[in-house]
Amino acid sequence: MNHQHPARTTLHFLVAASMLALAPSLFAQNDPHYTAARTINGQPDLQGVWANNSTTPLQRPEFFQDRATLTEDEYQRLLARASEIESGGGDALFGDGFLNAVITGEVQSYDPSTGNYDQSWMASRNIERRTSLIVDPPNGRLPEMRPEARERMTQQAQARREGPSDSYTSRPLQERCITYGMPYMLAGYNSYYQVVQSATHVAIIQEMIHDVRLIPLDNSPHADENIRLWHGDSRGYFEGESLYIETRNFSDASEFMGAHDNRIFKEKFTRTSDDILRYEFTMEDDETWVSPWTAVINYTHSADPIYEYACHEGNYALEGILSGARAEERMATEQSQ
Amino acid sequence: MSHLLRKASRLGIFVRLSLAATLLSASVSVFAAENNTIPRTADGKADFNGLWQTIGNHHWGIEPHNARIGPDSQWAAIGATPAGTGIVEGGQIPYTPEARAQQQDNQTHWLTRDPVVKCYMPGVPRANYMPFPFQIVQSSEHIIMAYEFASANRIVYMDRPDFEAPIPSWMGHSLGHWEGDTLVIDVTEQMPDSWLDRSGNHHSEQLKVTERYTYLSQDVIQYEVTLDDPNVYTRPWKMTLPLYRRLDQQAQLLEFKCVEFSEELLYGHVVKGAQAQEE
Repeated sequence: MNHQHPARTTLHFLVAASMLALAPSLFAQNDPHYTAARTINGQPDLQGVWANNSTTPLQRPEFFQDRATLTEDEYQRLLARASEIESGGGDALFGDGFLNAVITGEVQSYDPSTGNYDQSWMASRNIERRTSLIVDPPNGRLPEMRPEARERMTQQAQARREGPSDSYTSRPLQERCITYGMPYMLAGYNSYYQVVQSATHVAIIQEMIHDVRLIPLDNSPHADENIRLWHGDSRGYFEGESLYIETRNFSDASEFMGAHDNRIFKEKFTRTSDDILRYEFTMEDDETWVSPWTAVINYTHSADPIYEYACHEGNYALEGILSGARAEERMATEQSQ
Repeated sequence: MSHLLRKASRLGIFVRLSLAATLLSASVSVFAAENNTIPRTADGKADFNGLWQTIGNHHWGIEPHNARIGPDSQWAAIGATPAGTGIVEGGQIPYTPEARAQQQDNQTHWLTRDPVVKCYMPGVPRANYMPFPFQIVQSSEHIIMAYEFASANRIVYMDRPDFEAPIPSWMGHSLGHWEGDTLVIDVTEQMPDSWLDRSGNHHSEQLKVTERYTYLSQDVIQYEVTLDDPNVYTRPWKMTLPLYRRLDQQAQLLEFKCVEFSEELLYGHVVKGAQAQEE
């Protein structure tokens, strides 16, 4: 399904909040004075299952210009409009699609080719007042991409367009059940993480394709630079209320918004209330962007457990996609004869 | 000495030797615990945090077996199956006759049937004696076991005996508790598709696995695992093997995302041009 939402409105013309207002987000707001409980090892306790269901897009929509947050009036109207979209039965709005749909009234389908993702696939979204996940640069937008990086991305996109189903290697890494990347950024689509802490390691389980990141806390040096990993090589430490992680040694096949494998990825996890884990990351990649950039995602606590996401074991779709493409080729050959 | 006396004497020696072996085995762990030589967490539990791996050829076959030629002659000596003394108590798995026949058939068609060849998650206990390390991250409430092979992992929920498995899974539903310094984990609801080794040993969806992790010394865990599956075995049976701490200084869990290594096997026949090549 690749339809447009019937109400092609902008935020300016939304119905009055008093008519359709939802309860605001059930999650507590960030509390700058919050102090996390301590584990038996004295670390801030960041443990639990956390969800990235934020409606805030990575980059600030141009509509908001230099405003980092919604006004109260806009926020109330957003809640009301979100309720309409959620109950409308249309396409699912994962990731950035939610706020964009609210602002523009246009739904960008996650899956335009088959349209099999509808609202029943959606988790309840955490509707925030922020207008972008990016907090630096202050305009909420990605820094300028270097020409050589743009060229790199153009070539990759071109390769994807040419024979998209020629081989399994032509298909996206997610479809091949290899990885959703680190960090997995898509919000509202099985976006769950579990943090477990010991004295020497932090484990971050990412439900998508059953990945676990292991972060040693022992000040050991990074792995040899010749060891390149899909999710990079992480080292971390606790300081004050936060867990800090630095990750490098990414594989050149690992994908993250066009970043280069020489990127250095820095993360800071801070519990800012009982049910919010503030996740801040900074991308340092001189070969791709003209300056570093930083984003903040507020993970919200989930009472549900992590499930096993056995992807490859049941990946009948990949064979079906390739098999379908071969069938189309045979039909085309037969018709031309 | 009469025949009977000789028999009694031999029996006595056997009993004494068995008793001595049992005491020795028990005394190792008791010694380790009483002398507080085992690592302990801040809350006093046995601390199994670390990187662990087995030594040996158990992943090739958990029953005693001879060396045999591999499935692909191109791989010659390095593709052959090495011999192994086995880790099954009593030597043989107590299969029903039908299940034994299935194992023999599986072994004959090992390469095309073994789920691990396709990079499927190995299940429990096989994951613990694959030729890859695994990391334990232990907190008071959860114990994570992260395996290098296929990025498989499992969450062990401690002291939540009533937590039912939400769905069957490849790595099963693990509920743990402490019996003294021994970590005991009950694993249920595993997919019936996983195997126990590369020799076609198998189970059904009824499999109940009970694992016991006990320190023998500060860098060695005695791993005992009991498998019960009335669909396939005539009685519960046990395997015992040590898990060794990886002590090499640079050791860390790396990635073995083997999906990309299995794709040609699984999808090569539907890649563009594959049919033309065959013709």
